[in-house]
Amino acid sequence: MRLDSIFVVLKREYLSRVKNKGFWIATLAVPLFAAAVTILPTLLISKSHTSQTIVVVDATGQGVAEALKAQMAKTAAAKSKEAAAAPVRRPSGKGESRLADFTIETQTPGADPRVQRRDLDTRVRNGKGKVDAWMWLGPGVLKDEAAEYHARNTTNFITQETLRGDLSEVVRRVRLRQAGIDPARMEELTKRVELDAVQVPGTGTSGGGVAGLIFAVVLFFLLYMSILMWGQQVMTGVLEEKGTRVIEVLISAITPFELMMGKLLGICLVGMTQLAIWLGTVLVLTAPGIVATLAFLPAGVTMPSLTIGMTLNLAFLFILGFFAYATFYAAIGASFNNLQEAQQVASIAVVFIVAPVMVLNQIINDPSSTMAVAMSLFPLFTPLVMPLRIAIEMPPAWQLALAYVLTLSFVIGMIWVCARIYRVGILMYGKKPTLQEIWKWTRYA
Amino acid sequence: MTPILEVRDVRKSYGDFVAVGGVSMSVPPGSIFGLLGPNGAGKTSTIRMIMNITAPDSGEVLVFGHPRTGDDLRRIGYLPEERGLYRKMTVMDQLLFLGEIRGLKRAQLVPEVERWLARVELAPWAKKKIEELSKGMQQKVQLIGTVLHKPDLLILDEPFSGLDPLNQELFRELLQDYRTQGKSVVLSTHGMELAERMCDHICLISSGRAVLDGELRDIKRRVGGNSFRLLAEGDLERLKTMPEVEQATIQNGEVKLMLRPDADGAEALRQMVGFLKVREFRSEEPELEQIFMKAVRDAA
Repeated sequence: MRLDSIFVVLKREYLSRVKNKGFWIATLAVPLFAAAVTILPTLLISKSHTSQTIVVVDATGQGVAEALKAQMAKTAAAKSKEAAAAPVRRPSGKGESRLADFTIETQTPGADPRVQRRDLDTRVRNGKGKVDAWMWLGPGVLKDEAAEYHARNTTNFITQETLRGDLSEVVRRVRLRQAGIDPARMEELTKRVELDAVQVPGTGTSGGGVAGLIFAVVLFFLLYMSILMWGQQVMTGVLEEKGTRVIEVLISAITPFELMMGKLLGICLVGMTQLAIWLGTVLVLTAPGIVATLAFLPAGVTMPSLTIGMTLNLAFLFILGFFAYATFYAAIGASFNNLQEAQQVASIAVVFIVAPVMVLNQIINDPSSTMAVAMSLFPLFTPLVMPLRIAIEMPPAWQLALAYVLTLSFVIGMIWVCARIYRVGILMYGKKPTLQEIWKWTRYA
Repeated sequence: MTPILEVRDVRKSYGDFVAVGGVSMSVPPGSIFGLLGPNGAGKTSTIRMIMNITAPDSGEVLVFGHPRTGDDLRRIGYLPEERGLYRKMTVMDQLLFLGEIRGLKRAQLVPEVERWLARVELAPWAKKKIEELSKGMQQKVQLIGTVLHKPDLLILDEPFSGLDPLNQELFRELLQDYRTQGKSVVLSTHGMELAERMCDHICLISSGRAVLDGELRDIKRRVGGNSFRLLAEGDLERLKTMPEVEQATIQNGEVKLMLRPDADGAEALRQMVGFLKVREFRSEEPELEQIFMKAVRDAA
């Protein structure tokens, strides 16, 4: 075996992919897409305020409309105050981001409700005095009747939800007062208890809570995508060499094993380059300063960060995961003559790589359960399940060590078997081989 | 002198089909060795065994005087029958890659590649992708890739198919250069005229067996000692029925005659004068084509 030959092949495989525009488009599209679906909507919402004018006709006789106006002004004020002082824990989940500023115009029911209703309809229809909607609060609202909401647009669920929430709050207070209970006292007594999740120091690697979880899942899917995508690249690469018959020229210069190893290492490096770019983007985006600027995270959440140990573990697990699957893909690519034939057998690998996705929730909820531990030790699952466990809670050292030993042994075995299949298959043209035939190739001297 | 390449009775069967049924040949240094035979004779199968792409069922192949090792690969240049290049790579990158996998350094390679591209008039195409080139151009790139590392032994499987006469001539010159440097070339072809012009040694394969093997001059003397050229008028077809005539190729009133080895030329001429108006009859070296046809017929 010549290392320089392996290196020349590695270099070609790496450069031919990294120099390709498609690689950069795909690599940059993922973080851009992620940013687009996470940051943009929040940005858009916070920057684009609309104002809505709603006329509320109060027939309850309990001043509900005025109270509603006050309530809506209060929540709006609470929200802007919160935005000013960013990392203040928000009060009991109220004051969710609002899409609009509301202007409430109150009216008392007129002599002829029908005329009044018609007038309001006209105002909404003409947009005169900028009225977007009107509400009719009948006396029954205090019992169990619905409040009427008449608007140009009745699919604006967020506006309706806001109105429903604030109206319920106001009506609830009226009802309490009618029942002789002080609403303020009631609120005090029924206040929710918050759960402050703090990770015990030294037990895990991520910042904890929701952010830590998202971080772990993001890592998991990045690895999943990379292993699957670049593994299949190996297969298409081998098929291309076979299809264009470059293979005979190559085999007359270097051994099949050197060719296979060069290809695997080169493409592995491409995958790592891409992963590094992605992780780098994650690091930049989650840097404290940027998070504060973009303000797309809920207040009071500390961002998890990548430690060196974690990065190293990720890199090694990616390499092992890549080799566990890519060797298989190389052998399949070598055995068949075209993509259609190869794809059928290649789907065997997909079954194994998808399995951890199926039990993702269970593993996240209890990363040290028997199932999670067992899966993280099974070589074909280790590269995906172990990073997930590491991101949530650092597994015991012996489990980590055992996983590495098992996966490494498995990978060495795969290289041995697949190199043999590759060596024979790569020069076989014509008839599609059966799996038994392929297995027989491994026993050729 | 040890032969550069020696093939000893190699055999290869695929199921019941015998692709190569015992071929031996010996390629001396400084020679252009033609592996000749009709389509399906086993030329490519033999070459693939020489290159260790397939393993022979029996027999052995010696290169540079010993069984082939991994290190020998870098002293051999191989042009397979089914050509292939990476379609998306540029001509320059492709050639640098082919040089580098044979252990050459980039710095030495660049001027070498440029020199070759200029020589085959492909210099303006250096930065173009392979898929943008015509078939003939790809063929030239592939040939350069085969000789770039200055191998001591070149093995070319049908190197001239797909090349126009101008380029054929160019590569003929290249191969002659090669020989004068004391290196050896093995080429397979079914084009007899070409082989005749280029090769000094030949091995004729028919139905998986070597039917003739040796120096072309010797073979001609041995096989074709009784060849004549005849210019005559009359019933030329009747020549073919004469017992002395082994082979008669008639073209525009000119006949290439090959008599049986034991036949007497003068006696044959006397009989011909009986039914032909002979204008010229002289002894001549046989063409390879005639030898080939005779050998294939004899073997069958």
